[in-house]
Amino acid sequence: MTTKIVQTEDLHKTYDKDSAKPYEALKGISLSVKEGEFVGIMGASGSGKTTLLNILATLDQPTSGSVEIDGQDVTHLTSNQMADFRSKKLGFIFQDFNLLETLTAQENIALPLSLQNAKAATIQTAVKTAASKLGIDDLLSKYPTQLSGGQKQRVAAARALVSNPSIIFGDEPTGALDSTNARELLDTLTNINQQGVSILLVTHDPFSASFCKRILFIKDGKIGDEINAGDKPRNEFYQEILEKLGTFEQ
Amino acid sequence: MLFKISISGIKARWKDYLVLFSGMIITTAIFYMFEAISTNNKFTTSSPIGQNAKIVFIFGSILLAIITLVYVFYANNFLMSMREHDYGLFMMLGAKSGVISKLIIIETLAIGLISTVVGIIIGIGFTQVLSSFLASLIHMSLTHFSAFYMPAVIATIVLFAILFLIAGFLNARTFTKTSALQLLRSDQQSDWKQPKALTLATQAIAGVALLAGGYYAMYDIQQLKVMAIPIALVTIVLGTYFVFNSFFVMLLQAFQRSSISHSGLNSFTLAQLKFRIRDYTKILSVVSLLFALALGAITVGTGFQRMVPKLASGNGYYSVAITNPNYEMHSLVGQIKDKVTVTYQQKVDPQAKRVYYRRDQLKEQPLKYAAFVSRKTLASKTFTAKPSQFKHSDSPAYQELWGLQKPTIKAYQIKVVGQQAFNRVNAKTNQLLMVRANDMDAAAAPLTKITNLQTKQYGYQNGEQVGGSFTLYQSFKSIFGSLEFMGIFLGIAFLAMLASCLMFKILSGAASDKIRFDMLNKIGTRRSVLNRSIITQILVLFALPGILGILDVAFGLQMFAKGGLLMGGAYQTFGVTTAGFLVLYLIYFIVTVLIYSRIVVPKTKVER
Repeated sequence: MTTKIVQTEDLHKTYDKDSAKPYEALKGISLSVKEGEFVGIMGASGSGKTTLLNILATLDQPTSGSVEIDGQDVTHLTSNQMADFRSKKLGFIFQDFNLLETLTAQENIALPLSLQNAKAATIQTAVKTAASKLGIDDLLSKYPTQLSGGQKQRVAAARALVSNPSIIFGDEPTGALDSTNARELLDTLTNINQQGVSILLVTHDPFSASFCKRILFIKDGKIGDEINAGDKPRNEFYQEILEKLGTFEQ
Repeated sequence: MLFKISISGIKARWKDYLVLFSGMIITTAIFYMFEAISTNNKFTTSSPIGQNAKIVFIFGSILLAIITLVYVFYANNFLMSMREHDYGLFMMLGAKSGVISKLIIIETLAIGLISTVVGIIIGIGFTQVLSSFLASLIHMSLTHFSAFYMPAVIATIVLFAILFLIAGFLNARTFTKTSALQLLRSDQQSDWKQPKALTLATQAIAGVALLAGGYYAMYDIQQLKVMAIPIALVTIVLGTYFVFNSFFVMLLQAFQRSSISHSGLNSFTLAQLKFRIRDYTKILSVVSLLFALALGAITVGTGFQRMVPKLASGNGYYSVAITNPNYEMHSLVGQIKDKVTVTYQQKVDPQAKRVYYRRDQLKEQPLKYAAFVSRKTLASKTFTAKPSQFKHSDSPAYQELWGLQKPTIKAYQIKVVGQQAFNRVNAKTNQLLMVRANDMDAAAAPLTKITNLQTKQYGYQNGEQVGGSFTLYQSFKSIFGSLEFMGIFLGIAFLAMLASCLMFKILSGAASDKIRFDMLNKIGTRRSVLNRSIITQILVLFALPGILGILDVAFGLQMFAKGGLLMGGAYQTFGVTTAGFLVLYLIYFIVTVLIYSRIVVPKTKVER
């Protein structure tokens, strides 16, 4: 049996709980991601995708319910423990890259390891490995402003990979890219996934989602449906997603 | 409607405005205080001491007005940069440039009005409390002085109204000339360019060399004379600019290349600083120079004050001399604890225009006189006069005795004669009582009463005609006491302006930094690590201009020490004033860190 990397049980999140009009963003979400899986989460805006991602990423805490990542309950960590957990176990790729424009690509990629106070030599090797995986070896000394959108996102992906995380979270990672660069990044992610890294992608773009192996549809704070790619070719899966979205959003 | 939009614009950014207000209010308050003191006739015409103080304060308020002008423009620039996006939006929505101009002018004037009114109210409070402190510094009694003085209020309002009006019009002009799109995108534009290594190195070397040259000019003022001042001004201003623009950048680059940058958030902190410093070059240069001015004003002011007793006692041995003292005078003299007294008999012959003294008395209890032995340290020595020294009117002993006589006989010649000759002079015998207070600061109260009584008795127009070194002490005290007072408050006003400029610049970058700190939080940076990085960044930005400023003053004081203005006393108060100044500066630093952290450090729960 494969290990579960992410496991949530009856997750609830209510904003402004004590106010006259509390807003319930998540209404009991239970899901799991197995080791090596490539899972997508889809939903319209306001459906609760981002709230869910933030909780999984230990950036936010649920009102009730449990979250286990890599076998560890993350709902009761202190803020320092959460920070350490993020830097060691999780990798992030954001829509707007979130690179620090004051640092070179190399320094950006090295940041998670520097935070763990890794040795300079260790950092060097890890950065080189991650960079060659993403084919950005020649960009390391450049500043983000000197890079194209696609290059920036590959630097961000290298940063997500550099600490050998248990899982990579992607929050609309292709949102700011043109179709060629988006395609390239998704191919890269598939490639990384095939090397055994688990990925959880939050998106509302069917094309991006079609690269996943399994997709969860979320609506009004609940998981409404789930489809599997199985052995289908990607085109067919893409059609299936489109059909699902058509019925799901009505 | 326009008015409403403007006011809501200020309200929305109240906290940012508050920082600026604090600087502006302190400046207004101090300006009012200077005005109230220098223009209030009750203070200035009641005595010659007040007259001296008046000149000092007029000079102070002019200096303050010039610096305030620069500050108001600078601060307004910042405020407007915060509003760029809003104005861009208004223009996008179709607001005409005339409407935008009006909005900007209304906003600028509103800020001006609030800070001026609050500043004047606080200024009245300042004046009330501090005028008595000033009076005690310059040994003057204040009986009819009121802190509220209408002409000072009007002067303050007029000056600040003009300043803000000009600032408003200038702001409006720059804004309406910029396109809406540029304004909307203002926060996305980054002006960082990787500087060329050669330019950087050239500037760094030039900067250090210019600073060194400037410091040397001040150090070597005896050779360079007056030229030292313009040389130092130009080289230090340019040098400071280059040092910030290049030298510190190179230093940071060296750190980045070293192994330090691999640990924790150091690479981020160093990079932030490197980007910041170039962007901050102008403000850091201004802050460093203002820091020097402020600290210099306080140090020189307090230094002068310390010099007074030395200066006075070197100019004469006896503090006061009383001709034919009555009971009241005797009891006042009795109140002086640590003293030396001597009494001579004196006869005045108005026809021969001569004043006679007894040789035997001058022999038994010889007259003492003081003279400086070193101009540099202001050390003076006491000499004992022989009766033969009174033969020549230009001898120091003659001068001392001559100065101590009552003014009506100062035109007469002094004759030292034997007892029989003295008895033969057909005139009334006067008693001349000379008193030396060894500690003039401690004996100031009875000595002041004595000179006041004498002034009344002889009907002098000018207190300085009363003989003795105490009158000199008093007039030095009034000038230097006012200088000290003004130095302290000019210093505080400068500090408030420079620190709030720096604070403001740092805080205005907080919005764009927030994204970075959010990201660092997401990839797993502990809160304590974030905080440490913030403290380091802000500390460096505060410390660098501070260090340069202290160096400026350390060398600048050489001009006073060697140039002969502040003999011996130049460095006396340097340590203490620097420490006090740093405490105030530290408070600004802490407040900046607190506000900045509150803006940029993500809460435990990130809500998006």
